[in-house]
Amino acid sequence: MQILAEAEDLPKTANIKTQLVSLWTAPVFGVVLLIAFLAFPGFFPPMSPDMTAEQVAKFYSDHTALIRFSMITFNLCGIMLLPFFIVIVIQMKRMATQSHVFAYCYLTAAVSGATLFALADIFYLVAAFRPDRNPELVMLLNDMAWMIFIAPVGAFVAMNLLLGAAVYFDDGPSPVFPRWVGHYAIATALAMAPAAGAAVFATGPLAWNGVVSFWLRNAAFALFVVVMFFVLRNVLHRQAVDEGVAT
Amino acid sequence: MSAQSSSSTDVADAGRVPRAGKRDVWLVFWIVPAFYTAFGVIFFALARVMPPPRPDVTTDQMVHFFHAHALTIKIGFGILVLIVGGAGIANGIVAYHMKRMTVGSVMAYCYLGAMSVGALPGCLLVAFCFLTAVYRPGRDPQLLALLYDLGLLSYVGSLGCFATAYFAFAVAILYDKNEIFPKWLAYVSIWQIVTEIMAVPVFVSKAGPFAWNGSIAFWLGVVVFGFWLSCVIVFLMKATERQPVDEPPLD
Repeated sequence: MQILAEAEDLPKTANIKTQLVSLWTAPVFGVVLLIAFLAFPGFFPPMSPDMTAEQVAKFYSDHTALIRFSMITFNLCGIMLLPFFIVIVIQMKRMATQSHVFAYCYLTAAVSGATLFALADIFYLVAAFRPDRNPELVMLLNDMAWMIFIAPVGAFVAMNLLLGAAVYFDDGPSPVFPRWVGHYAIATALAMAPAAGAAVFATGPLAWNGVVSFWLRNAAFALFVVVMFFVLRNVLHRQAVDEGVAT
Repeated sequence: MSAQSSSSTDVADAGRVPRAGKRDVWLVFWIVPAFYTAFGVIFFALARVMPPPRPDVTTDQMVHFFHAHALTIKIGFGILVLIVGGAGIANGIVAYHMKRMTVGSVMAYCYLGAMSVGALPGCLLVAFCFLTAVYRPGRDPQLLALLYDLGLLSYVGSLGCFATAYFAFAVAILYDKNEIFPKWLAYVSIWQIVTEIMAVPVFVSKAGPFAWNGSIAFWLGVVVFGFWLSCVIVFLMKATERQPVDEPPLD
């Protein structure tokens, strides 16, 4: 995107630029979070709910340094994806043929969802803080860590259903998003929804280490961020051209 | 809004004058009673958090509570973690209508922020404590007792997030000239703040009217909340009905 020289200092240009900064937090911190994900010694394969308390305690004492590195990184950088989702809110608020109630509901759900994401890594870190604790206690912390990391998909499911509905209702002459983004948002919500079962099931595809709850959920989330990065980049470019601040 | 606008000019105006319509507001509105109905079924019938189990029981009785209700806790709270985004939607539409008032946006944003934060301590933490408790029934009874206390105290004892939201709601209604909500609903919201204050002793009292299952700390709050919530749903509906179809989208 080439910002026009005469538009350089206009507020509407700054609006585009700050959205671009927020948008680019996604690839930058996405890479950081991917490294944190790859570094966690309990994701390949994901730790089984079948592990005994002694095995869980041994896991935390054997891999303390990597667990700390991974989860401190999640702690520091996980919420840095929030600016990316706020760009979606801002773009939902540009939709001309609706009231913007979807955008405010999306924002409320996004903040609630972020509080849970911010909580899960604390449990891993507390378990790793004193791995020589009574193994029953380490297992309790590990159970809560996994459950709160994998199961609470409700906020994200609601956000994507709202985004899908907003795209469908944005049926004026110049829609913000292409229509397939609505289908894609809803498909992502459906792919992530079954992971709520991780709060209940201890074996099978819905357990927190299962194909559906772990791999499908996390892959669908990661893919959504990647796809929406390119979608939003195009949307921002068009907004900049429409507002006469870029070519 | 303007008297001149008629259907013949709609097409010409469509490109220049944003016309929000309100079909999206209606869609979101109907999620509110649907979500709170599911919420009520989960907390009363399935998870047995309402009415709350007693605080003044032995560790064995707490263990028995989790064993006796393990299946319904799993069903109820398993569904809750899936649909809890409905809380965001229910709070979002209130914030939306608050932004339609003549009072600026500050109170709408306070309400949105306070309620977003409140979802975790006031609703989801008890779900995760109880789900963790019934996930491994053979856990040390002392740990189950810890989860019992942590879950119920966070659920009944999350006070400030909601008090802040009710404060913002009441102030916005009292200053509003658009009559989005009736003035008396502001006073009901102030009673909601009073019930939050009356629940302060749950952190100290293990039995009697001020315990987490007590007549004042819990039941008074439930009755006022039930009345307040019913009013909010009815007046969200009326506010949506009265909203002009050609109102422009919010700023």
